[in-house]
Amino acid sequence: MRHLLWMALFASLTAVVFGVVAKGSERQRLIYGLKVFAEFIVIAFILGWILYFLPLH
Amino acid sequence: MVTREIDRSAAKAPGRAWVLALGAWAVPGLGHLAQRKWTRGLLLGGVVWVMFFTGLALGGHLFRISGNDQGFSALLQLLPMSANFGAGLLYIFCWLTNTGFVEQAQRVTYEYGNTFLLVAGLLNYLAMLDAFDIAAGRKQ
Repeated sequence: MRHLLWMALFASLTAVVFGVVAKGSERQRLIYGLKVFAEFIVIAFILGWILYFLPLH
Repeated sequence: MVTREIDRSAAKAPGRAWVLALGAWAVPGLGHLAQRKWTRGLLLGGVVWVMFFTGLALGGHLFRISGNDQGFSALLQLLPMSANFGAGLLYIFCWLTNTGFVEQAQRVTYEYGNTFLLVAGLLNYLAMLDAFDIAAGRKQ
């Protein structure tokens, strides 16, 4: 659970920077930041489940 | 009319823009704050500072090239070091005080800490370029 929180913190901080430096209106940048955050979370979950099924040990 | 004003500011900005970019690199957020972009400065600077100190608190370590690194080993250190170096004076202060260079691989959050530290520097490079573009009149 703690890993998920650190990952969410990382995603949110990075998304803030991406949203702030992006071009466009404030609304467009807000939506872009939210999209970046959602992409981080979704991709992390997908990769996590892929790794879960791999016989690594 | 508006286009001409932007073109004129872009033409005379480079010197000032370079100084502001240097300031933005040295102190995260300063490049925007000096241009009275308060919200941008606080958001960008705040994120870099928070990420950097969170990274240290999580047990991450900073990279540097030591005398022991030769050849390919030095190259492997150079890439993450250049990412860490993006944090500006934060990195230099840690380097001078030898803070944050010790590996704490036994900690569960060690890799998270490394990632936070690396990305803090990289995001500050991004903020630096943004401050430069604003100062050069390429961006509002």
